[in-house]
Amino acid sequence: MNVVSRGIKNAFRSPMRSGAIILMLAISIGLILSMLVARSSVNAKIDQVKSNAGTNITITPAGVFGFAGGGNNLTSAQVSQISKTAHITTTTAALNDQLASTDTNLTPSLTLGNFGARQARFESSSSNSSASNGGPTAAELASRPAPTPHTTVTGTTNPNSISTNGSNLSITNGATIDGNSSAYIALLGKDLASKNNLTVGKTFTAYGKTFTVNGIYTTGNTFQDSGIIMPLATVQNLTSQSGQVSSVIAKVDSSENVNSTVASLKSTLGSKADIVSQAQQAADSVSSLQSISGLALASVIGSAIAGAVIILLAMIMIVRERRREIGVIKAIGGTNRKVVAQFISEALTITVIGSIVGLTLGVLASGPMTSSLVSSSQNSSSSTQSGTRDSGGPGGAFLRGGFNRVSSNLTQVTSSITPQVFALSVGITLLIAIIGSAVPAWFIARISPAEVLRTE
Amino acid sequence: MLEVKNLTKSFDSPSGKVTALENVNISIKTGEFASIIGKSGSGKSTLLGVLGALDTPTSGSIKVDNVDISKLSANKQTAYRSKKIGFVFQQYNLIPNLTALENVMLALEFGGMPAGKRKSRAEQLLDEVGITPDEMLRKPTRLSGGQQQRVSIARALANRPSIILADEPTGNLDSKTGKMIFDMLHKLSRSENTTILAVTHDMDIAGKTDRTFTLVDGKIVA
Repeated sequence: MNVVSRGIKNAFRSPMRSGAIILMLAISIGLILSMLVARSSVNAKIDQVKSNAGTNITITPAGVFGFAGGGNNLTSAQVSQISKTAHITTTTAALNDQLASTDTNLTPSLTLGNFGARQARFESSSSNSSASNGGPTAAELASRPAPTPHTTVTGTTNPNSISTNGSNLSITNGATIDGNSSAYIALLGKDLASKNNLTVGKTFTAYGKTFTVNGIYTTGNTFQDSGIIMPLATVQNLTSQSGQVSSVIAKVDSSENVNSTVASLKSTLGSKADIVSQAQQAADSVSSLQSISGLALASVIGSAIAGAVIILLAMIMIVRERRREIGVIKAIGGTNRKVVAQFISEALTITVIGSIVGLTLGVLASGPMTSSLVSSSQNSSSSTQSGTRDSGGPGGAFLRGGFNRVSSNLTQVTSSITPQVFALSVGITLLIAIIGSAVPAWFIARISPAEVLRTE
Repeated sequence: MLEVKNLTKSFDSPSGKVTALENVNISIKTGEFASIIGKSGSGKSTLLGVLGALDTPTSGSIKVDNVDISKLSANKQTAYRSKKIGFVFQQYNLIPNLTALENVMLALEFGGMPAGKRKSRAEQLLDEVGITPDEMLRKPTRLSGGQQQRVSIARALANRPSIILADEPTGNLDSKTGKMIFDMLHKLSRSENTTILAVTHDMDIAGKTDRTFTLVDGKIVA
């Protein structure tokens, strides 16, 4: 029977009270762990969003938005200017085109519907535009051939840029294509492929050439899944737009340089291009995550203080209650060191049991807690973001793919307990135990052995 | 040999300076059984606390075997209490969550006895004061007052002290048990040659000791 075993034995002297103290301690330790997990997971997500999407700059010809508007495509000189700009690491250039029924043997998988019909209502009248300012009359509309939906072609140096979720383009069959080649190869969207009964290896005609289907892709976006992806040079050559592109996505080396790069691009390209950076968008998107991170940190500090106060008050209570007993131990020759060691071992026993229960609770609770924190804050912030997304005609989705993926990915914060986070919470727990025993130890040292002579 | 010279103990209280002990002089030979009697508030417990190095005197000297214990450092005083002094209290003051055996072993631990020898020594001591092996494994709450006081005497004797200080050792016991405890202490002072100083207000018991000091308002009057 030594000091340590006496301390451990004392911890179970009053099982009900020790149980209550352990439970309170466990809750605060569990909260510490799950809040640390939430914080580190959210911080990891913020870093990921900032490093992935936050550094993209989209450059489009001035006045062009998807297939709407008007203006001149970017030239190869401008594209090389962009890629030479400081801090830009990679550029992905794309040229969009639409195939009418005369250009291809493919049947479009999209139907015009109300939306398409309205967009297409000017098409056939553009050559013989009538003098009347009131637009085409009912008779004129009737005399026109019925408009047909078009199939969108995207010539790109990087097929993965079509993906809407930030990761690589999902190829369901076959293989992706090399965006830098000029071969007659293509990736078909899932809907377009099934509409035309095309599979990998089959051929189709476009621009009077025979193309081979290299792969079938899916994005989950009906507009994208009804399109064709070809190498950029192929589209440029076949449409006689050599060197021209309708959009460039430039990636900046770090999020700090995005604003300065946007400024330098604006000065070199002048009024010929519209430049949109994701930095601001990403900052807006992660601001809610940052507030969760701050909240989680506050909770960690709060529960650490609560835990320390619980063990502190419990030990002070125990010391006060055992004043006489401490006096007896001192009177029969127990040194201050031995009495303090006994009480520290008692406090440690309670803390260790509390932390085992608490860390188990924390491991179980951290996942649901992180996701509920993130989803509730996203619900409140999504309403402010939705306004920036829904605008523009067909093809606009291409531009905004990057932005969409920022927002849609934010709710996918996965909580993971890393060894560092676990070690940190164990460290905080240990700190709690030290604080919880140091102050009572001071009280113990001040109890006089003459306490035994006091008669109650 | 216990020699107390010009011992004074005073406290500061809100109503001014209170002198609990004033110029106390006592000399007790080794193996003597002495008693101190006095009314409550006369300073009996204060004197016992100062003699047992539980408290420090304001002035004066307490020599035990020619060592002035009032001049020792706090650590030395603790060592002095564990090796030279045995305490027997009116309230028994056993540690409630330790068994009778463990209570005696605790004193042996503080006295510096190696862990391996403690158990047999504690059993021997408890046997001497008439505690059965079954009672040795009980906690204090499951022992009678007389049994608890015998355990506390065994604890006081554990490290073969030169002085046993007893604070109203029979105060909480019925007269029959009280007499038995008194006889046990008396026997010890003879067989072990241990100096015993007992504080009591029971004149009956005081009359049977070798010497009796009477304390009135902090002064020895007889």
